[in-house]
Amino acid sequence: MAFIEIRNLLKHFKKVVAVNHISIDVQEGEMLTLLGPSGCGKTTTLRCIAGLERPEGGDILIDGKSMIAEGFVQPSKRGIGMVFQNYAVWPHMKVVNNVTYGLKMQGMSKKVVREKAQQVLELVDLVGLEERYPGQLSGGQQQRVALARALVRNPKVLLLDEPLSNLDAKLREKMRFEIKSLVKRMGITSVYVTHDQAEAMVISDRIAVMEAGNVVQIGSAEEIYQRPANRFVADFIGTTNFIPGKVLEIDRQTETIYVRTDFSEKMLCKAGTLASITPGAAVFASIRPEDVDILAERPQAGENVFKGTIVHKAYLGNFLYFFVSINGTMVRAQVAHYLPQEEGQDIFLSLNPRKCMILL
Amino acid sequence: MSRGDYSLSTFIWLIIAFLVIYPLSFLLVESFKIAETGGFGIGNFLEFFQDTYYLKTFANTLWLSILVLLTSTLFGIPLAYILARYRQYGKTIFTALILLPIVLPAYAGVFAFIIFFGKFGTLNLLLMEAGIIATPINFIYGLHGLVFIQALHMLPFIVLSLAAGFTQIDPAFEEAAEVEGASGFRRFITVTLPLCTPTYLAGAVIVFLWPFTDWLTPLILGQVDYLPSIAYINIAYHFTDMHRKYMGIVAVVVSSFVCIALFLVARWWVERKKYTGLSKGTTSEGRVIEPGILVKTLSYSYMGLTAFIVLLIPIVLGLSAFSRRWVFQPFPTYWTLDNFKVILSESPLLIQNSFVFSAVALIFGIVFGLPAAYVIVRTKVRGKDALDFVITLMLAFPGMAVGVSYLLAFWDTIPLATHWMIMPLALFSRRLPYFLRMAHSSYLQLDISLEEASEVCGVGKIRTFFYISLPLLIKGVLVGVVMFFIMAFQEISTAIFLYRGGWETLPIGIFLNWHRGMEFGIAAAMAFLMIVITFILLLIISRIGGSILKAAWGPGSR
Repeated sequence: MAFIEIRNLLKHFKKVVAVNHISIDVQEGEMLTLLGPSGCGKTTTLRCIAGLERPEGGDILIDGKSMIAEGFVQPSKRGIGMVFQNYAVWPHMKVVNNVTYGLKMQGMSKKVVREKAQQVLELVDLVGLEERYPGQLSGGQQQRVALARALVRNPKVLLLDEPLSNLDAKLREKMRFEIKSLVKRMGITSVYVTHDQAEAMVISDRIAVMEAGNVVQIGSAEEIYQRPANRFVADFIGTTNFIPGKVLEIDRQTETIYVRTDFSEKMLCKAGTLASITPGAAVFASIRPEDVDILAERPQAGENVFKGTIVHKAYLGNFLYFFVSINGTMVRAQVAHYLPQEEGQDIFLSLNPRKCMILL
Repeated sequence: MSRGDYSLSTFIWLIIAFLVIYPLSFLLVESFKIAETGGFGIGNFLEFFQDTYYLKTFANTLWLSILVLLTSTLFGIPLAYILARYRQYGKTIFTALILLPIVLPAYAGVFAFIIFFGKFGTLNLLLMEAGIIATPINFIYGLHGLVFIQALHMLPFIVLSLAAGFTQIDPAFEEAAEVEGASGFRRFITVTLPLCTPTYLAGAVIVFLWPFTDWLTPLILGQVDYLPSIAYINIAYHFTDMHRKYMGIVAVVVSSFVCIALFLVARWWVERKKYTGLSKGTTSEGRVIEPGILVKTLSYSYMGLTAFIVLLIPIVLGLSAFSRRWVFQPFPTYWTLDNFKVILSESPLLIQNSFVFSAVALIFGIVFGLPAAYVIVRTKVRGKDALDFVITLMLAFPGMAVGVSYLLAFWDTIPLATHWMIMPLALFSRRLPYFLRMAHSSYLQLDISLEEASEVCGVGKIRTFFYISLPLLIKGVLVGVVMFFIMAFQEISTAIFLYRGGWETLPIGIFLNWHRGMEFGIAAAMAFLMIVITFILLLIISRIGGSILKAAWGPGSR
């Protein structure tokens, strides 16, 4: 039995359906990320788990107990910890009082409260700042206060709503690892919300990609990246080339699909086959830029080799990024080695068939 | 929607129904009573709209409103512009001064100006002594005086609204106009002013409605032919003549309808026209100009003149309060503390009543206003927008309407009017919207995630309110508290209908003293006392407010 079970959750705001009958399981000790663009319903789902929104249908079970169907359970009674996007650290209380607020309200003894506060402040590396007011702290420090406050009561579930989006890039990168190791150490089941896919891939055990209120795919970072379920996921995670074409023939034995595109009679695609494809269907052949190889001359052998013209070449430090036009179709390629060819010159692209996926 | 929210909302609606809807409906019903037959009919209204006298008073009042609005706008625009745009010395003091007419009771101004501008007032006497004029100029006894006094009283509303409007305008709008070639006055008329319309309208409505509720100023100036004044006379004086009483009620009802209609139209108009652009967001200061020498001098002179006129009120009243037999002299000659002795010895009850009633009303206001603000801002119960609307609508009702309706509604059926509690209740009903608006906007500024964070820490809604919401709301709430108390303290239009022997407040005392033709000095002394008390209250509250702020926000604030 999963630790958090979301069953058929339905939430709408006036006429807009924000969460459309979704079901997700979060295993105990797992960090699951809800990933998607603005408006996809990820924050709403998180707030439903917290009890800050009342869904119109469905149920959420935490540790086997229903939070909705058998009577709505208030957020204060769910045993959760939550980190808000704007931290929501109370400005009129010192850091230590922010952190110990929940404990004191429970009626714990002063000694126990002080001990726990000390522990958690060490955990988030805020020792020495207890007596400060939030107004005197930096953004990153405030965020750690919010984290400490959420963790101090040893919650069953930790919810994080885009906690890093207000930090600068370097700090964000550092905090990702810190949060992940902290949560793993404490073994808390967590649900994380973000629109930043790099963040999701670093921090999660599994990712649930959402679009317009629906869960489109759930899987590990690698699954989602290498085997995206549809065009939306392929486009949202990393960058992908989408080459429109029509299915020519399907060879089920070698698991190969031949596609006719604007620039080629026959293009081989091997990965990501869909059982429902029929010849003549309009599809997208998609391949990631790093799987497109660039060659100065046409190679002796190899499938999917096409000649094109360099439209734009960009130097990005650790790799070169090319926009190549093959008879009008723009293909992006990313190579980690040096190439002398400049814009306007001809070049050969090799699209690795094994990495070429058919998506609808 | 949680059950707790629903019960709270229901409770609030019940109170509103009892204290607002019931009395006002009673008022409306009474206006349809025919004195001769004892039955119901529209006869009173027919008479009202066919009688030339009543129609004349109605037209007079409308005309007065228009004049007052135009005057205060004309004189207010430069002030608002100066406050919002120029770097001048003394802006803070001046802003405080410009607020003075609001916190001073309206009738205080009338007395002061009669003493100073009257036929044998200071100004006329000085001019005659200097030989500039032979006979006194009539400065204030007439429509012009009435407009002047009422415009001055309402000036702060216009100035503050416009100043806020000017400050809020994204400088980019005006800069774009200048780039297109429209500069100076042209730009002001075509871009700046129109962009202020929403904020201006907010203040303009309050100003326009004032002549419909100010029954006392015209009476003191000997101008009777205005709707609120004849309503008062009909109801308060002719209480044995049922017909006239009902006509008075009709006058109040008509005034109320006009006020409410205008209020709603203005609201609709503002909401309909969207004046915000897709601008990046401005500095909180808005555009600031460094004016040239000539403009600067003119500005200072204008500010000085306005300050002088406003300060005349407390100064003249003060002089009068501390003197006796100040007649036919430009300045007092005989100084004494007798006036105050008389007040304190013969009617200390006035002061006590004023404080007690205002304080009790304030308690009602807080106990009721905070939960109401919570329901409107934080919950999703059905009807909360209607609640907001009804309470805001109460702002539009003339004070007389509240007073008269309470007198009628709580006389026979629910004999609440026989208990002194009716006074604070009426004060509370009348002034509640002021407090609620402050509580409302404070609540809006309180980020809901601060409350949600408390809930996910295991703390229920009620304790969250006291430990998190309230400390963070205090700042805005305090302002509402002060305004409420001051307004309740100087309330007369409501109280005048409900008081009984022993329940008189200071404002009523002033009115009675003037009315019975007693020593002007005593009435002036009372008015002066009110001003002093109001001022001290403001000082105390700002001190307390400051220290609470320090505790709430800590030594370092964002």
